[in-house]
Amino acid sequence: MLAIFKREFLSYFRSPVGYVAIAIFSFLSGFIFYSQYSAGSVNIGSEVISLRSFFVIIVPIITMGLFAEDKKRGTDILYYTTPVSLFSVVVGKVLASVALYFVMFINVIIHIIVTLASGGVFGVGAFGTIIVFFFMAFMFIAMGQFASAITDSQIVSAIVAFILILITQIISIIGDYLGKAATSLVGMINPGSEAASSFGEGVRSFISWLDPFAKTQDFRLGVFSVSALFFLLSVGILFLYMTYRVLDKKRWSQA
Amino acid sequence: MIEISNLVKRYGDKRAVNGISFTVNDDEILGFLGPNGAGKTTTMNIITGYISSTSGTVKVNGHDILEEPELAKKEIGYLPENPPLYYDMTVREYLNYICDLKGVAKERRKNQLDRIVSMVKINDVYNRLIGNLSKGYKQRVGIAQALVGNPSILILDEPTVGLDPNQIIEIRKLIKSLSKSHSIIISSHILSEIQEIADRVVIINKGKVAAIDTINDLSKRLSGQTKLLMAFNGPVKDVANAVRQIPGVSSAVPRLSDNRVGELEIGIVTDDSYKVRTALFFMMAQKGWPVLELRSLDPSLEEVFLNITAGKHGGKK
Repeated sequence: MLAIFKREFLSYFRSPVGYVAIAIFSFLSGFIFYSQYSAGSVNIGSEVISLRSFFVIIVPIITMGLFAEDKKRGTDILYYTTPVSLFSVVVGKVLASVALYFVMFINVIIHIIVTLASGGVFGVGAFGTIIVFFFMAFMFIAMGQFASAITDSQIVSAIVAFILILITQIISIIGDYLGKAATSLVGMINPGSEAASSFGEGVRSFISWLDPFAKTQDFRLGVFSVSALFFLLSVGILFLYMTYRVLDKKRWSQA
Repeated sequence: MIEISNLVKRYGDKRAVNGISFTVNDDEILGFLGPNGAGKTTTMNIITGYISSTSGTVKVNGHDILEEPELAKKEIGYLPENPPLYYDMTVREYLNYICDLKGVAKERRKNQLDRIVSMVKINDVYNRLIGNLSKGYKQRVGIAQALVGNPSILILDEPTVGLDPNQIIEIRKLIKSLSKSHSIIISSHILSEIQEIADRVVIINKGKVAAIDTINDLSKRLSGQTKLLMAFNGPVKDVANAVRQIPGVSSAVPRLSDNRVGELEIGIVTDDSYKVRTALFFMMAQKGWPVLELRSLDPSLEEVFLNITAGKHGGKK
């Protein structure tokens, strides 16, 4: 696992990918921090929350090559023909991408130092948003890695990862829409029934339950929820398992 | 030693590999031949654990590739048709990475890599990026990665494809030298290459083993008898009649000849061609007909291959 982690992490800096991701993150975080700083009201928590919106751009960039590039070049054969386990390959790669996020996050650490040096505040709420940030990064990277495992095209991988992450970001809107659609549908089948609205509400609340942003919004207030972190971790592990299954299936494929 | 027993790989309704069985002995080079789509690469991929068979077993030094994959894989070094190289790494970084994947202990690593690097002659490019190397060097690095971990078995899929003639000769020499301490399965489309380096050949066709034998024995089976070509200076009819009198000779058919040189195609029915050749020499010397050339006319591996894969001959020995 360590060998895979090391290779993947260093490969970010042997190609433009790592530098591009760091540059985008640095620009965005720098812009947000500068805007706050020049307005005289720095809030690291809100900076980190704003940065979460850009997972949808940065994660596909750093995960698109994880497996797609291996498949294209034929280097994935090493994972199957050497004594290394596929599980350690999957975990090693995802940790390498998370580590790149740590490197990118140095920007925010600098902002925290500047804030504290300028007499600003770094409260428990801001600390909570940072914890959520990394759990979310893990979850979205696991999704991106899965997208990379199902294709040998980096472009396709990036598009699938973008769509998956976008869905999680607008899942409450999707929930509202599908809830209304379900209400209308049941209303058409059974006009005048109260069951229609309660069914639609059930659909809406189930889909909204999946919203990772809603689940973790209280962290900014310093209210930590272990179940919310467990949710993010579980979804990430689910995608790691799906990635493992996709890779293992190749060995058994009869198609 | 590799024992392959009744291997089947099914893709939908098609059987890419259909009941293949053979054994690779210690320290032998086994040539693996077959037309495109015969199932060579599929078989190699199953042996190395890259894909799994639908049924059948592969045992590598006694370890089943499915039941004890890690132990089996430690015994195998695999060079696929396209070497699995990372172009963004130097040769040194890449081979160290392969050492990590194969679990080579840090204290043994330096000695092992030094030995491999000098064996495959990549000392000059050890610190260069793989992406900047020539195809020949890339192939050498591919062989080097197969040698990492000191496996007792090497599986080489088309190791000389795309190389220039000098590089082909060098890689061939290298493979020959590796056979002193490794069992090697080598697939190649260059039949002369297999003929030159392999101890035995397996010819597969349409997913089945069409023949397994040494090249000489395959040639004999194909022609049904050993044939010699003799060039001489003498009267062709008289020589043919005299040759037919030698015990063990079944036929003596004149071939193209001019005033100075006659040629006879001589069929031998006995297994001991040494006696026939000796008798030929003394008979020709006694008659005063100088022998200018005497050579075997056994079919080349190319002819054997074409005949077997065309379905004219075959069957396992």
